[in-house]
Amino acid sequence: MKITILGAGPGGYVCAIRAAQLGAEVTIIEDTEVGGTCLNRGCIPTKTLIASADALHKTRNAEDFGLELNGSVSPNILKIMERKRKVVDTQVKGIRGLFKSWGVKLMEGRGVIVNSKKIKVDLKDGSTAEVETDKIIIATGSSPAQIPVFPFDGTRILSSDHAINLDTIPKSLIIVGAGVIGCEFAFIYKEFGSEITMVEMMPRAVSTEDEEISALLEREIKKKKIKLITNTGVQKVDVKEDGVTATLSDGKTIEAEKVLVSIGRAVNSKNIGLENIGVNTGKRGEIIVDAKMQTNVEGVYAIGDVIGGIMLAHLASKQGLIAAENATGGDAKVKYDVIPAAIFTSPEIASVGLREHQVKEKGIKYKVGRFQFRALGKAHAMGEISGIFKIISEEGTDKILGAHIIGPHASDLIHEVAVAMDGGLTVNDIAHTIHAHPTLAEGVMEAAEDVHDMAVHCPKK
Amino acid sequence: MNPGDVMYHKEHTWARVSGNKATVGITHYAQESLGDIVYIDEPETGTNVDAGTELTQIESTKATSSVISPVSGTVTEFNEELSDAPEIINEDPYGKGWIVKIDITDESQLKDLMDSTEYEKYLEEEVKLK
Repeated sequence: MKITILGAGPGGYVCAIRAAQLGAEVTIIEDTEVGGTCLNRGCIPTKTLIASADALHKTRNAEDFGLELNGSVSPNILKIMERKRKVVDTQVKGIRGLFKSWGVKLMEGRGVIVNSKKIKVDLKDGSTAEVETDKIIIATGSSPAQIPVFPFDGTRILSSDHAINLDTIPKSLIIVGAGVIGCEFAFIYKEFGSEITMVEMMPRAVSTEDEEISALLEREIKKKKIKLITNTGVQKVDVKEDGVTATLSDGKTIEAEKVLVSIGRAVNSKNIGLENIGVNTGKRGEIIVDAKMQTNVEGVYAIGDVIGGIMLAHLASKQGLIAAENATGGDAKVKYDVIPAAIFTSPEIASVGLREHQVKEKGIKYKVGRFQFRALGKAHAMGEISGIFKIISEEGTDKILGAHIIGPHASDLIHEVAVAMDGGLTVNDIAHTIHAHPTLAEGVMEAAEDVHDMAVHCPKK
Repeated sequence: MNPGDVMYHKEHTWARVSGNKATVGITHYAQESLGDIVYIDEPETGTNVDAGTELTQIESTKATSSVISPVSGTVTEFNEELSDAPEIINEDPYGKGWIVKIDITDESQLKDLMDSTEYEKYLEEEVKLK
């Protein structure tokens, strides 16, 4: 069985390794760098920048921890970016090493589907090759979406791809879109010293999250003195010699050194030969697949951002595992009801399952348990007390419908609830489990207890 | 401890009224119950608020709570000093720790407020027994 994968991001590379583990002869074609957006332009680079911002913040507040700082601390963006490159390089080498170890053949170039059994590759060295294959898996990902009236120029009008590679810290930065990407960059560059104004079309920041989580994040945004303008669009951006002027939908103008456009991501489904085999796509170009990740063309699968929907690295990886299984004769499906997700703002946000407004819309009778980080001894010891745990369960059955956490280490804490949901456990199963003290995870237990007003560290209601 | 020149709301806020203008804050009891105050949300000036409804939110090391407006009216000013030093509320709740100034639109509601003697009795009889 020969399997060829287009794209070596978190969907494609995971798929390649699993297909090899299942005995297939695997070729993977990548035209930029293995690891895709996640490793080279997304998840990992931003997390290294956040690590630098966090270290800076802690050092600046050293006095709060009883430390005397003899001298000053300031960010050196070139060194911060150098550290980021090292981290990314190490991970890239790791994936290349895994390919070698599992016998996955990496072809560096751009692959175009000729027919369902053949892919033509324009290799980076200028030569051309052809790959004969039994199955094709498309994992070409997505790119930053731009606004046609003010496209990216890389110097004044930036995408997230540019924002992770700046060589100076902008004095001021307008961020169009206060979603996941916009908010992460707002906190990073604010800490580095930029004056930030976020402009968001929706009524709230991170509008896909639970409303309570958005409200709490907005308060943290205020505390950081990041400006957030909601219910407002950006109509045009004029680039001048020394900066940009953005005209908002209410007619007001704001000026800054640069503007970052983070309004979402567009699928990469063009110029890969889909038309040569008649793969069905949707309105935004997203490839349409069934529950087994197969397209309308027998033996051709698609996974990750290129199929639209929820664009998360770990979901792409899961889809890659399922596609590998199915392409090698299996019969697996992706379950979409338990997908944890994290936003690395300060503090972090994490969610799994339904938001409270979604539960209401579905007409499900529910109960909510809440617990504040500031009621945890560990949070006080760490000096990070802002945030809440929120667990939503079905009334009567106690089945967990969703969990939402904003607070330090939220991205790690959410998984206890994700496992419980995947295993069909109830809030009481979490509440009855002994949680180590002193930890932040105690907050998950207390929130589970609070569903029935039994949280010990909550005042009587 | 609770000054006589202000009027008290049962949700532990106070109003110092002069003509149709009120300065508003939280009471000594409120700041003591909250503990160390770490943040107060700045309500936008121009916002209309009804007596007995949320004026803004306040965060302490123990809890996040609503600040209930003792009067109905329009917020005209926020005590900017609280942005950088919210602990002033703990130190001087009836003085430097004032929160907002409000132009009163419905003076009839003032009669629902308590004077300091009534408020202290209220604390003794109803609040502390809870």
